[in-house]
Amino acid sequence: MSDNLSELLGRKGIEENLFDKMGTLAKPSGTPSDEELKDLAKEFLVGTANAFGTASFYDFLRPENKGKKAYVCNGTACECAGTQPSVSEKLKEHFEEDEIGHMTCLGRCHENNAFHYDGKNYSGNALNTLSEIIGKENQHNNDDYNVGANGREILTESFTNLTDYYAPFQKALKQDSASVLEEIKTSNVRGRGGAGFPMGLKLEFCRNVKNDVKFIICNADEGDPGAYSDRYLLEKRPHAVLFGMLISGYVTHANYGIVYIRAEYPEAAVIVQNAIDELKEAKLIGENIDGSGFDFNFKIIQAQGSYICGEETALINSIEGQRPEVRVRPPFPAQKGLFNKPTTVNNVETLAALHYIIENGGNNWKNIGTERSSGTKLVCLDSFFNKPGMYEVEMGTPLSEVVNEIGGGFKSPVKALQIGGPLGGLVPISKIKDLAIDFESFSSEGFLLGHASVVCIPEEYPIMKLIEHLFDFASYESCGKCFPCRLGTKRGQELSTKALNSDYKIDRKLFSDLLTTLEQGSLCAHGGGIPLPVRNAMQYFDDELKEYFN
Amino acid sequence: MDIAYINNEPFEIEKGETILTFIKRYKDKNLVPTLCDAPNLDPFGSCRVCSVEVALEENGKLKTMASCHTPVAAGQYVYPSTEAIKDLRKNIIELVLTDHPLDCLTCEVNGNCELQTVAAQVGIREVRYPEGDNHLYKMKDLSHPYMTSDLSKCINCYRCVRACDEVQGEFVLSMSGRGFDTTIIKGLDQSFMDSDCVSCGACSQACPTSAISDVFQSKAITATDTTRTICTYCGVGCNLEVSTSNGEILSITAPYDAEVNQGHTCIKGRYAFKFYNHQDRLDSPMIKRSNGEFEKVSWDEVYEYIATKLTGYKDEFGSDSIAGISSARCTNEENYLMQKFIRTVIGTNNIDGCARVCHSPTALGMQRTFGTGAATNSIDDLKDTNCIMVIGANPTDAHPVTGAKMKQFAMKSDNVSIVIDPRRTELARYATHHLALRPGTNVALLNMMMYYIISEGLVDDSFIENRTEGFETFKEEILNIDINALEEVTGVNRNQVKAAAYSYATAPNAMSFHGLGVTEHSQGTFTVIQIADLALLTGNIGRRGVGVNPLRGQNNVQGSADMGVQPHQGAGYFDITDDEVNKKYNEFYGVEVPKEIGYKIPEMFDAALDGKLKAIWIIGEDIVQTDPNTKKVIKAMEATDLVIVQELFMTETAKYADVILPGASFLEKSGTFTNGERRVQAVRQVVEPIPGSKPDGQIIVEIMNKMGYAQPDYTPEGMLEEISQIVPFFAGITWENLGKNGLQWPVAKDGTDTQILHTVDFKRGKGYFEFHAWEETQELVSHAKDFPYILTTNRELEHYNCGAMTRRTANEEILQDDYLMINPEDAAKNLINDGDYVCLESPRGKVDVKARITDQVKSGVLSTTFHFPEIMINNLTGDVHDSEAMCPEYKVVAVRLRKSKGKFKQVLADK
Repeated sequence: MSDNLSELLGRKGIEENLFDKMGTLAKPSGTPSDEELKDLAKEFLVGTANAFGTASFYDFLRPENKGKKAYVCNGTACECAGTQPSVSEKLKEHFEEDEIGHMTCLGRCHENNAFHYDGKNYSGNALNTLSEIIGKENQHNNDDYNVGANGREILTESFTNLTDYYAPFQKALKQDSASVLEEIKTSNVRGRGGAGFPMGLKLEFCRNVKNDVKFIICNADEGDPGAYSDRYLLEKRPHAVLFGMLISGYVTHANYGIVYIRAEYPEAAVIVQNAIDELKEAKLIGENIDGSGFDFNFKIIQAQGSYICGEETALINSIEGQRPEVRVRPPFPAQKGLFNKPTTVNNVETLAALHYIIENGGNNWKNIGTERSSGTKLVCLDSFFNKPGMYEVEMGTPLSEVVNEIGGGFKSPVKALQIGGPLGGLVPISKIKDLAIDFESFSSEGFLLGHASVVCIPEEYPIMKLIEHLFDFASYESCGKCFPCRLGTKRGQELSTKALNSDYKIDRKLFSDLLTTLEQGSLCAHGGGIPLPVRNAMQYFDDELKEYFN
Repeated sequence: MDIAYINNEPFEIEKGETILTFIKRYKDKNLVPTLCDAPNLDPFGSCRVCSVEVALEENGKLKTMASCHTPVAAGQYVYPSTEAIKDLRKNIIELVLTDHPLDCLTCEVNGNCELQTVAAQVGIREVRYPEGDNHLYKMKDLSHPYMTSDLSKCINCYRCVRACDEVQGEFVLSMSGRGFDTTIIKGLDQSFMDSDCVSCGACSQACPTSAISDVFQSKAITATDTTRTICTYCGVGCNLEVSTSNGEILSITAPYDAEVNQGHTCIKGRYAFKFYNHQDRLDSPMIKRSNGEFEKVSWDEVYEYIATKLTGYKDEFGSDSIAGISSARCTNEENYLMQKFIRTVIGTNNIDGCARVCHSPTALGMQRTFGTGAATNSIDDLKDTNCIMVIGANPTDAHPVTGAKMKQFAMKSDNVSIVIDPRRTELARYATHHLALRPGTNVALLNMMMYYIISEGLVDDSFIENRTEGFETFKEEILNIDINALEEVTGVNRNQVKAAAYSYATAPNAMSFHGLGVTEHSQGTFTVIQIADLALLTGNIGRRGVGVNPLRGQNNVQGSADMGVQPHQGAGYFDITDDEVNKKYNEFYGVEVPKEIGYKIPEMFDAALDGKLKAIWIIGEDIVQTDPNTKKVIKAMEATDLVIVQELFMTETAKYADVILPGASFLEKSGTFTNGERRVQAVRQVVEPIPGSKPDGQIIVEIMNKMGYAQPDYTPEGMLEEISQIVPFFAGITWENLGKNGLQWPVAKDGTDTQILHTVDFKRGKGYFEFHAWEETQELVSHAKDFPYILTTNRELEHYNCGAMTRRTANEEILQDDYLMINPEDAAKNLINDGDYVCLESPRGKVDVKARITDQVKSGVLSTTFHFPEIMINNLTGDVHDSEAMCPEYKVVAVRLRKSKGKFKQVLADK
């Protein structure tokens, strides 16, 4: 975090963006050249070290990415499904080993076998038609998954047409923005990114800060392996997300909306851009929309492969073109965010909820779900379910209903569910009966709802290996800023690997100290969150784990 | 009054402070250990060692928070050292030690390592983790003459990266990679030497371990003593802490409590000190014998020789056949003594100093407008201004610590910065407005700005009404200027000028800074007057964050003029032609002092060439290398019977001396320097003068006594006591009350000093508007036809003026020679490649200099330095002077250029 860099990188506004340019420059060879970095440093006045430092952070900009042609998904669902070794083998028939890299979660958790080639994602049976895919353009790469709802279809409601869909926005423009905000506060919609912070309050904080320039950011880089609900919304309901951003802009007096989309979802960026173009065409965005005096424009920024960018302050640094290291809070983004200007960062699913709230009023949303967790929630089920897919459930729906009825039960024996991504909890199947899909139920039982993505841990998959995988992921994706996370996740991974591969026994006190240090000491929820599933594992799978500890 | 609690004990909190600051104020400063926190950096929150537990009620539910970046809130209960917190700290440090060499005994910072201290404080006894991946393999970087790194010792606290960003604003350091692989990089992962490092040393001072250090191992604890003193280079006046052992200087750091430099300084202040005991130091008085060779003689002999000669000239040709040039590098006390010697013992006002060739137009111009010829405000006012206008100055090279502060200012988008300079300086790259005018057109451009301010109604009417005079006539003249013509001569688009004028005039507080690009012109004084007029027009004078602020060049150029090193004003700026003043001086000095204005430096040369000057005594100024028109200066020296040079080294001027007196460097004597913001600071002797040399003040005292004037031995206490009685604005200054950070004059008898001048009225009563029209310099009128390029002169960060000192340090390894900046278009037109030798020719002479092709200069403009005697650029500069103050026009020289035949061939031959 550097105030100076934020100022300098913001000088050219959002349209001339360092990070964006780096992405473009990296396309031909996988990484920008030193000369290109020098030119960028000169253009933005930030010094070559900062240009190099930024590029070296991201999977798809760093020098090591040079020459990569295909990427194998190594997200938790694909890992647990055990499909990926064969994906690598098959790809090696067509590529040199060093031309193959990794991407973490392509959002194909429902059918696995996922890989990325030439700007597109493939999964399921695509592997069997590899020779038809390689070297050809316009390949069909769509996947199919179940989409459903156990109650009202709100987020999964089908899109009608632009005019009808944006009528509530046009109506809102005729109202005082304070009263529009009031509806959002009434709904008590809480952030779907994990922390569950009330969205209305977040918008109000930003609204109350005086500044001519403010930003709305859609965080479409929440890369929790196992969660593909964001992907669904971006690809299938892009207008729900854009609508939410427009309303957020209106109530906070922000005039720019930035959609920061994961590199792992290349198709989503194309689809959202098309949706933005439609809005432009329909004059639903731009200057003085509908004569209301409200201006709003969108910009898509494509991420370049870093899980930590899902953390809002890292994401802000990323858009600026700084290294996406987590910032200290306060100041909060609402006070000092993108380019040091007041900024609201919201999750895709949270933004998508606003259409219903604005159209039907906050009370109608509040009446769905539970007292403290209102509305509906998208839940993703992976390929171990008989009916894998993405479902919209009312908050408060028992987890057993989700698993057994909506998901149709498991295809093969499963011993635990990782819910809410790698920083979410590890729920043993014995606890399914005690949980419901809402924030309070999960936290009171010592778990985390998070994104509500469900990844199954099959009976035969060793929990120690899962712990190693979690630490490996946490260590690989740590931004490296705070000491506990940078060092602790690495040491956690080393301890687990050593215990798995030798007769080394981990000292329980040391391991507990490590987890406590990560929990209490870490700057953000990345290092702070990883102990939760590990502790769950230690609690519920002690029998299986005790051989690794003394 | 808001209260929070530390261990359930109530304390008052300050608005916006962090928990760490709160605890530090009431409890032991080291109660809460920290690693990533630093006194001059923003909170960062990486190490987490400063974590504390916080509850909302007494013994309530505890939450762990990093105290360094969490604001304390009213009603909070802070528990800084619970068992859980002690464990957390210990566990974090244990993790750090899994990736840190445990070789403390052989480490350069053993005993002064923050990691070592914190590890001891939290009580680490073992590292329980099995050996894992680490960075102990990282190699040292010893590529640079000053900066070193050993990243195996790095703990990733980012303090170096942040210092490079938040203090120096250079962005040379960053991190690469992520997670565990995160590592410090310089530039594109280069060595220090290959990077764009400016060797300010901020990173080294910030680093808590030895991961980034310097060749002097400035964090090692080998020193037995430290002495706080003031830097001898530029007019910023950085406070330095000099470490010594057995009378030898080991290293220099910057104290964090220094009001001037807050823990920062530059390559010169921090690292360029090794000249002080360089083998080239003059170590004995010498007299040039008839064979042309210098012979070492005793002090007694040299004094006898000088006294006899001077008395002889005085008797035979009169006192005015003798002149003195005092040194802005010397202390106030020494300057005072030199002018006193010339006036009282010799009996002439032929005393001048290097202010003549730098800021004499500033002193004169500001005296004419305000009544006082010194900076109206302080550098600290940058915190309270909204707009800076930097004209004819390149502070990031010439005043690096102030330059760094301005760069920090310019980077913030809410601030406005205007740079008026022919060159795209470092600051210009970051500025809101860069008006790249043709050299020699300052007056034209400033008149354009004032035209827009007046015609757009942006003037401060009430200020003009209440505090100024002459506005109506001035306004009429300004509104009559020919914008078309001026736009043409300046080469700056009028809309750009208008936008900058608008910014300056509408900023709540606007502050101007100027350098030699203003003064070293034929219309230098007029430009200063215009800058002062701009401040009057817009009411930007007399409060914090505004004013007119010359960036003084030498460490004590302000002080030398204050002390009377001027031919027309005595100590305290009194007009020596005034009878009352004369009477006062006569009484004070106990002898009759002359009433006629003496020679300014250029007039001394003319007098020498006319045979009127028989003897000249020059202290610490290399006029042969640095004054314009070298050939003429040399002829003048040759024409003077007795040339006495008091110096540290055998400079180009010293070579022409008849008598050499070995002076002492700033590290070897005590006294005071006055910086560019009128701050009188104590220079404290660090080591004894090298054998054979003497403090310059003592030399003058001894010659005064020798020639019959009873002057007590040189001590700063004694001298200040004398000075405070004759210089009114020194009235309250004593050696004792200068303290750590000095006092800004005027200092009242009770010791109250002054940060801002002209708050109520001006010294001259009302601010005076004075219009001057732009006139082309005679240099171009006479020579532009045959010499179509304009050469201007500049300074480089690494070297100081003639380079006598910096060239005798490792700075020379960083910048080895003067070079010529040439625009790519001009280079192509003249078939010049980067690195080629170019022959520059002016009506005075020729030099060969290496070309560097850069877009920092516009086509038609060339720029170079005169740090190196091998090049002697002043062979080209001429005799045109400022019409009022006689400051030479170094900034506009008519030249022609071609690829060099001589040296260029030599270069080819060497290949």
